[in-house]
Amino acid sequence: MNAHDVSHYHLDKEQVRASFSRAAADYESAAILQREVGERMLQRLELVLIEPQCIVDVGAGPGTQTRLLSKRYEQAHVVALDLAEAMLHQLRANELRTNEPLHEASAVDISCVCGDAESLPYVDGCADMVFSNLALQWCNDQNAAFREFRRILKPGGLLMFSTLGPDTLEELRYSWSKVDGYNHVNAFFDMHDLGDALQKSGFSSTIMDVEQITLTYKELRTLFSDLKTIGAHNVSAGRPKGLMGKARMNRLFDAYEQFRKNGLLPATYEVIYGHTWAANEQEQASSMNGEYDISMEQFRRQLKRSG
Amino acid sequence: MDRKLLAILVCPLCKGPLVDVDDELVCKPCRLAYPVRDEIPVMLEQEARQLEPEEEY
Repeated sequence: MNAHDVSHYHLDKEQVRASFSRAAADYESAAILQREVGERMLQRLELVLIEPQCIVDVGAGPGTQTRLLSKRYEQAHVVALDLAEAMLHQLRANELRTNEPLHEASAVDISCVCGDAESLPYVDGCADMVFSNLALQWCNDQNAAFREFRRILKPGGLLMFSTLGPDTLEELRYSWSKVDGYNHVNAFFDMHDLGDALQKSGFSSTIMDVEQITLTYKELRTLFSDLKTIGAHNVSAGRPKGLMGKARMNRLFDAYEQFRKNGLLPATYEVIYGHTWAANEQEQASSMNGEYDISMEQFRRQLKRSG
Repeated sequence: MDRKLLAILVCPLCKGPLVDVDDELVCKPCRLAYPVRDEIPVMLEQEARQLEPEEEY
Protein backbone atom coordinates (compact mmCIF):
# COMPACT_ATOMS: atom_id res chain seq x y z
CA MET A 1 0.00 0.00 0.00
CA ASN A 2 1.15 3.57 -0.18
CA ALA A 3 1.03 6.20 2.49
CA HIS A 4 -2.02 7.89 0.98
CA ASP A 5 -4.23 4.97 1.94
CA VAL A 6 -3.54 5.43 5.60
CA SER A 7 -6.85 7.09 6.46
CA HIS A 8 -8.70 3.85 5.75
CA TYR A 9 -6.61 1.98 8.23
CA HIS A 10 -6.58 4.15 11.29
CA LEU A 11 -5.84 1.89 14.23
CA ASP A 12 -7.88 2.20 17.33
CA LYS A 13 -5.11 2.72 19.92
CA GLU A 14 -7.29 1.99 22.93
CA GLN A 15 -8.21 -1.30 21.25
CA VAL A 16 -4.54 -2.07 20.65
CA ARG A 17 -3.77 -1.33 24.29
CA ALA A 18 -6.67 -3.44 25.53
CA SER A 19 -5.96 -6.44 23.31
CA PHE A 20 -2.29 -6.57 24.30
CA SER A 21 -3.16 -6.16 27.96
CA ARG A 22 -5.50 -9.15 27.74
CA ALA A 23 -2.79 -11.15 25.94
CA ALA A 24 0.00 -10.47 28.44
CA ALA A 25 0.10 -13.77 30.35
CA ASP A 26 0.04 -16.11 27.31
CA TYR A 27 2.10 -13.93 25.06
CA GLU A 28 5.58 -15.39 25.32
CA SER A 29 4.64 -18.92 24.39
CA ALA A 30 2.49 -17.91 21.42
CA ALA A 31 4.66 -15.16 20.02
CA ILE A 32 6.95 -17.39 17.97
CA LEU A 33 7.30 -14.80 15.25
CA GLN A 34 8.26 -12.02 17.65
CA ARG A 35 10.87 -14.22 19.27
CA GLU A 36 12.28 -15.41 15.95
CA VAL A 37 12.53 -11.89 14.53
CA GLY A 38 13.92 -10.54 17.80
CA GLU A 39 16.70 -13.11 17.71
CA ARG A 40 17.62 -12.13 14.17
CA MET A 41 17.78 -8.49 15.24
CA LEU A 42 20.13 -9.39 18.06
CA GLN A 43 22.30 -11.29 15.56
CA ARG A 44 22.48 -8.14 13.46
CA LEU A 45 23.53 -6.18 16.52
CA GLU A 46 26.53 -8.47 16.85
CA LEU A 47 27.87 -6.84 13.68
CA VAL A 48 27.65 -3.37 15.18
CA LEU A 49 30.35 -2.06 17.47
CA ILE A 50 28.67 0.12 20.05
CA GLU A 51 28.67 0.42 23.81
CA PRO A 52 25.32 1.98 24.63
CA GLN A 53 24.74 3.42 28.11
CA CYS A 54 21.00 3.80 27.64
CA ILE A 55 18.77 1.61 25.46
CA VAL A 56 15.04 2.14 24.98
CA ASP A 57 13.12 -0.99 23.93
CA VAL A 58 9.94 0.33 22.29
CA GLY A 59 7.08 -2.17 22.34
CA ALA A 60 8.97 -4.45 24.70
CA GLY A 61 6.00 -6.73 25.39
CA PRO A 62 6.84 -9.13 28.22
CA GLY A 63 10.52 -8.32 27.77
CA THR A 64 12.02 -11.27 25.89
CA GLN A 65 14.48 -9.06 24.00
CA THR A 66 14.77 -6.54 26.83
CA ARG A 67 16.42 -9.22 28.95
CA LEU A 68 18.73 -10.28 26.14
CA LEU A 69 19.70 -6.66 25.45
CA SER A 70 20.45 -6.16 29.11
CA LYS A 71 22.68 -9.24 29.13
CA ARG A 72 24.42 -8.29 25.89
CA TYR A 73 25.12 -4.72 27.00
CA GLU A 74 25.89 -5.24 30.67
CA GLN A 75 26.81 -1.62 31.28
CA ALA A 76 23.56 -0.30 29.81
CA HIS A 77 20.41 0.90 31.50
CA VAL A 78 17.61 -0.70 29.45
CA VAL A 79 14.20 0.93 29.53
CA ALA A 80 11.27 -1.22 28.40
CA LEU A 81 8.35 0.75 26.98
CA ASP A 82 4.99 -0.70 26.11
CA LEU A 83 1.50 0.63 25.48
CA ALA A 84 0.03 -2.25 27.47
CA GLU A 85 0.63 -1.96 31.19
CA ALA A 86 -0.10 -5.65 31.80
CA MET A 87 2.81 -6.63 29.51
CA LEU A 88 5.17 -4.70 31.77
CA HIS A 89 3.82 -6.31 34.93
CA GLN A 90 4.44 -9.62 33.17
CA LEU A 91 7.99 -8.49 32.37
CA ARG A 92 8.51 -7.74 36.06
CA ALA A 93 7.12 -11.13 37.06
CA ASN A 94 9.39 -12.90 34.53
CA GLU A 95 12.29 -10.83 35.77
CA LEU A 96 11.77 -11.92 39.37
CA ARG A 97 11.49 -15.54 38.27
CA THR A 98 14.59 -15.63 36.07
CA ASN A 99 16.64 -13.42 38.35
CA GLU A 100 16.63 -15.86 41.21
CA PRO A 101 19.92 -17.20 42.70
CA LEU A 102 21.46 -18.37 39.42
CA HIS A 103 21.58 -14.91 37.90
CA GLU A 104 22.15 -12.93 41.03
CA ALA A 105 25.71 -12.09 40.08
CA SER A 106 24.79 -10.45 36.78
CA ALA A 107 23.22 -7.11 37.57
CA VAL A 108 20.25 -6.65 35.27
CA ASP A 109 19.41 -2.98 34.91
CA ILE A 110 15.90 -2.81 33.46
CA SER A 111 13.22 -0.16 34.05
CA CYS A 112 9.65 -0.32 32.80
CA VAL A 113 7.52 2.53 31.48
CA CYS A 114 4.01 2.38 30.08
CA GLY A 115 3.84 4.80 27.16
CA ASP A 116 3.14 5.46 23.51
CA ALA A 117 5.82 5.26 20.78
CA GLU A 118 4.25 8.26 19.04
CA SER A 119 4.51 10.41 22.17
CA LEU A 120 7.52 9.24 24.16
CA PRO A 121 8.01 10.32 27.79
CA TYR A 122 11.81 10.64 27.54
CA VAL A 123 14.05 13.67 27.54
CA ASP A 124 15.78 14.71 24.28
CA GLY A 125 19.02 12.92 23.49
CA CYS A 126 18.97 10.46 26.39
CA ALA A 127 19.36 7.21 24.42
CA ASP A 128 22.25 5.60 22.56
CA MET A 129 20.00 2.98 21.03
CA VAL A 130 16.32 2.56 20.28
CA PHE A 131 15.36 -1.08 19.71
CA SER A 132 11.89 -1.91 18.46
CA ASN A 133 10.78 -5.41 17.51
CA LEU A 134 7.49 -5.73 15.61
CA ALA A 135 5.83 -2.77 17.28
CA LEU A 136 5.86 -0.02 14.66
CA GLN A 137 3.06 -1.67 12.71
CA TRP A 138 0.77 -0.67 15.58
CA CYS A 139 1.50 3.02 15.14
CA ASN A 140 -0.97 5.14 13.23
CA ASP A 141 1.67 7.64 12.32
CA GLN A 142 5.05 6.06 11.78
CA ASN A 143 6.49 9.49 10.99
CA ALA A 144 5.57 10.58 14.50
CA ALA A 145 7.22 7.49 15.98
CA PHE A 146 10.41 8.02 13.95
CA ARG A 147 10.53 11.71 14.89
CA GLU A 148 10.21 10.71 18.53
CA PHE A 149 12.95 8.07 18.18
CA ARG A 150 15.22 10.69 16.63
CA ARG A 151 14.40 13.19 19.36
CA ILE A 152 15.36 10.86 22.21
CA LEU A 153 18.49 9.53 20.47
CA LYS A 154 21.87 11.18 20.79
CA PRO A 155 23.36 12.24 17.44
CA GLY A 156 25.03 9.13 16.07
CA GLY A 157 22.68 6.90 18.08
CA LEU A 158 21.32 3.70 16.56
CA LEU A 159 17.75 2.76 15.70
CA MET A 160 17.30 -0.98 15.15
CA PHE A 161 13.76 -1.99 14.25
CA SER A 162 11.56 -4.60 12.64
CA THR A 163 8.03 -4.18 11.40
CA LEU A 164 5.55 -5.91 9.13
CA GLY A 165 5.25 -5.20 5.40
CA PRO A 166 2.14 -5.05 3.19
CA ASP A 167 2.30 -8.70 2.06
CA THR A 168 1.77 -9.89 5.63
CA LEU A 169 -1.06 -12.42 6.01
CA GLU A 170 -1.77 -12.23 2.29
CA GLU A 171 -3.47 -15.65 2.39
CA LEU A 172 -5.90 -14.33 4.98
CA ARG A 173 -6.42 -11.08 3.11
CA TYR A 174 -7.18 -13.02 -0.09
CA SER A 175 -9.53 -15.41 1.70
CA TRP A 176 -11.49 -12.53 3.24
CA SER A 177 -11.80 -10.92 -0.18
CA LYS A 178 -13.73 -14.06 -1.25
CA VAL A 179 -16.16 -13.59 1.66
CA ASP A 180 -16.82 -9.84 1.82
CA GLY A 181 -15.26 -6.52 0.99
CA TYR A 182 -14.28 -5.53 4.52
CA ASN A 183 -10.77 -4.84 5.69
CA HIS A 184 -10.17 -7.68 8.14
CA VAL A 185 -6.40 -7.52 8.23
CA ASN A 186 -4.39 -4.58 9.50
CA ALA A 187 -2.66 -2.69 6.69
CA PHE A 188 1.09 -2.20 6.69
CA PHE A 189 3.51 0.29 5.13
CA ASP A 190 6.08 -0.83 2.60
CA MET A 191 9.83 -0.44 2.82
CA HIS A 192 9.98 2.64 0.61
CA ASP A 193 7.44 4.54 2.69
CA LEU A 194 9.48 3.66 5.77
CA GLY A 195 12.70 4.78 4.10
CA ASP A 196 11.17 8.13 3.20
CA ALA A 197 9.77 8.56 6.69
CA LEU A 198 13.15 7.80 8.27
CA GLN A 199 14.95 10.27 6.07
CA LYS A 200 12.44 13.01 6.82
CA SER A 201 12.74 12.28 10.53
CA GLY A 202 16.50 12.88 10.60
CA PHE A 203 18.03 9.45 10.16
CA SER A 204 20.85 8.65 7.77
CA SER A 205 22.74 5.63 6.39
CA THR A 206 19.58 3.56 6.57
CA ILE A 207 19.81 -0.10 5.67
CA MET A 208 16.67 -2.12 5.26
CA ASP A 209 15.82 -5.54 4.05
CA VAL A 210 12.86 -7.77 3.92
CA GLU A 211 12.26 -11.42 4.69
CA GLN A 212 9.24 -13.65 4.30
CA ILE A 213 8.59 -15.89 7.27
CA THR A 214 5.89 -18.52 6.90
CA LEU A 215 4.35 -20.19 9.90
CA THR A 216 2.19 -23.24 9.29
CA TYR A 217 -0.94 -24.38 11.06
CA LYS A 218 -2.96 -27.56 10.98
CA GLU A 219 -6.10 -25.53 11.45
CA LEU A 220 -7.04 -21.98 10.72
CA ARG A 221 -8.53 -21.69 14.21
CA THR A 222 -5.05 -22.01 15.68
CA LEU A 223 -3.81 -19.14 13.54
CA PHE A 224 -6.69 -16.99 14.74
CA SER A 225 -6.06 -17.83 18.34
CA ASP A 226 -2.34 -17.03 17.87
CA LEU A 227 -3.17 -13.67 16.32
CA LYS A 228 -5.46 -12.96 19.25
CA THR A 229 -2.92 -14.10 21.82
CA ILE A 230 -0.27 -11.79 20.47
CA GLY A 231 -2.90 -9.06 20.24
CA ALA A 232 -2.43 -8.89 16.49
CA HIS A 233 -5.97 -9.47 15.30
CA ASN A 234 -7.48 -6.64 13.34
CA VAL A 235 -8.01 -3.46 15.31
CA SER A 236 -8.25 -1.04 12.40
CA ALA A 237 -11.14 1.33 12.80
CA GLY A 238 -12.83 0.17 9.57
CA ARG A 239 -13.37 -3.35 10.85
CA PRO A 240 -16.95 -4.58 10.91
CA LYS A 241 -18.53 -4.65 14.35
CA GLY A 242 -20.43 -7.54 15.84
CA LEU A 243 -19.98 -11.27 15.85
CA MET A 244 -18.78 -13.20 12.86
CA GLY A 245 -21.61 -15.34 11.46
CA LYS A 246 -20.99 -19.05 11.29
CA ALA A 247 -21.74 -19.18 7.57
CA ARG A 248 -19.26 -16.42 6.79
CA MET A 249 -16.65 -18.10 8.94
CA ASN A 250 -17.12 -21.34 7.01
CA ARG A 251 -16.75 -19.52 3.71
CA LEU A 252 -13.52 -18.01 4.98
CA PHE A 253 -12.21 -21.42 6.06
CA ASP A 254 -13.11 -22.87 2.62
CA ALA A 255 -11.33 -20.05 0.81
CA TYR A 256 -8.20 -20.48 2.94
CA GLU A 257 -8.12 -24.25 2.28
CA GLN A 258 -6.75 -23.70 -1.24
CA PHE A 259 -3.42 -22.65 0.32
CA ARG A 260 -3.02 -25.95 2.17
CA LYS A 261 0.29 -27.63 1.30
CA ASN A 262 1.57 -30.94 2.71
CA GLY A 263 -1.40 -30.96 5.02
CA LEU A 264 -0.63 -27.55 6.54
CA LEU A 265 -2.01 -24.05 6.15
CA PRO A 266 0.62 -21.35 5.66
CA ALA A 267 0.50 -17.84 7.13
CA THR A 268 3.09 -15.60 5.57
CA TYR A 269 4.58 -12.62 7.34
CA GLU A 270 6.61 -10.05 5.46
CA VAL A 271 9.15 -8.83 7.99
CA ILE A 272 11.03 -5.59 7.32
CA TYR A 273 14.31 -5.07 9.20
CA GLY A 274 15.83 -1.63 9.51
CA HIS A 275 19.00 -0.27 10.94
CA THR A 276 19.69 3.46 10.82
CA TRP A 277 21.62 6.21 12.59
CA ALA A 278 20.44 9.44 14.14
CA ALA A 279 21.99 12.02 11.84
CA ASN A 280 23.85 15.01 13.17
CA GLU A 281 22.75 18.37 11.74
CA GLN A 282 25.31 18.34 8.94
CA GLU A 283 24.33 14.89 7.73
CA GLN A 284 20.70 15.80 8.03
CA ALA A 285 21.12 18.77 5.69
CA SER A 286 23.02 16.77 3.09
CA SER A 287 20.66 13.80 3.20
CA MET A 288 17.57 15.81 2.36
CA ASN A 289 17.93 14.84 -1.29
CA GLY A 290 19.92 11.68 -0.66
CA GLU A 291 19.09 8.02 -1.00
CA TYR A 292 18.88 5.06 1.29
CA ASP A 293 20.32 1.65 0.69
CA ILE A 294 18.49 -1.59 0.99
CA SER A 295 20.56 -4.75 0.90
CA MET A 296 22.24 -6.76 3.64
CA GLU A 297 25.37 -6.68 1.50
CA GLN A 298 25.45 -2.89 1.76
CA PHE A 299 24.90 -3.20 5.48
CA ARG A 300 27.97 -5.42 5.85
CA ARG A 301 30.09 -3.13 3.72
CA GLN A 302 29.01 -0.14 5.75
CA LEU A 303 29.90 -1.94 8.97
CA LYS A 304 33.31 -2.87 7.68
CA ARG A 305 33.89 0.78 6.93
CA SER A 306 32.84 1.96 10.34
CA GLY A 307 34.26 -1.03 12.28
CA MET B 1 10.99 5.40 42.17
CA ASP B 2 14.17 4.48 40.37
CA ARG B 3 16.33 7.66 40.26
CA LYS B 4 18.06 6.73 37.03
CA LEU B 5 14.72 6.34 35.29
CA LEU B 6 13.33 9.52 36.81
CA ALA B 7 16.27 11.46 35.37
CA ILE B 8 15.22 10.71 31.79
CA LEU B 9 11.41 10.83 32.16
CA VAL B 10 9.48 13.86 30.90
CA CYS B 11 5.83 14.65 30.24
CA PRO B 12 4.91 12.90 26.95
CA LEU B 13 2.87 15.93 25.90
CA CYS B 14 5.05 18.99 26.61
CA LYS B 15 8.36 17.09 27.15
CA GLY B 16 8.85 19.19 30.28
CA PRO B 17 10.20 17.99 33.64
CA LEU B 18 8.09 16.05 36.14
CA VAL B 19 7.74 16.29 39.90
CA ASP B 20 7.81 13.01 41.83
CA VAL B 21 4.97 13.22 44.40
CA ASP B 22 3.92 10.09 46.28
CA ASP B 23 2.74 7.64 43.64
CA GLU B 24 2.39 10.18 40.89
CA LEU B 25 4.55 12.10 38.43
CA VAL B 26 3.22 15.62 38.08
CA CYS B 27 3.55 17.91 35.07
CA LYS B 28 2.85 21.42 36.34
CA PRO B 29 2.33 23.19 32.97
CA CYS B 30 -0.08 20.47 31.68
CA ARG B 31 -1.70 20.15 35.14
CA LEU B 32 -1.58 16.38 34.85
CA ALA B 33 -0.55 13.70 37.35
CA TYR B 34 0.65 10.45 35.80
CA PRO B 35 0.14 7.38 38.00
CA VAL B 36 2.98 5.11 39.09
CA ARG B 37 1.64 1.60 39.68
CA ASP B 38 3.93 -1.09 41.08
CA GLU B 39 6.90 1.15 40.26
CA ILE B 40 5.77 1.39 36.63
CA PRO B 41 5.07 4.96 35.52
CA VAL B 42 2.03 5.09 33.26
CA MET B 43 2.84 7.97 30.92
CA LEU B 44 -0.41 8.16 28.98
CA GLU B 45 -2.63 11.22 28.85
CA GLN B 46 -5.79 9.14 29.13
CA GLU B 47 -4.53 7.51 32.34
CA ALA B 48 -3.40 10.78 33.93
CA ARG B 49 -5.33 12.65 36.62
CA GLN B 50 -6.26 16.27 36.02
CA LEU B 51 -4.88 18.38 38.88
CA GLU B 52 -7.46 20.17 41.05
CA PRO B 53 -7.35 23.99 40.76
CA GLU B 54 -6.03 24.32 44.33
CA GLU B 55 -3.29 21.67 43.89
CA GLU B 56 0.18 23.16 43.73
CA TYR B 57 3.54 21.38 43.69
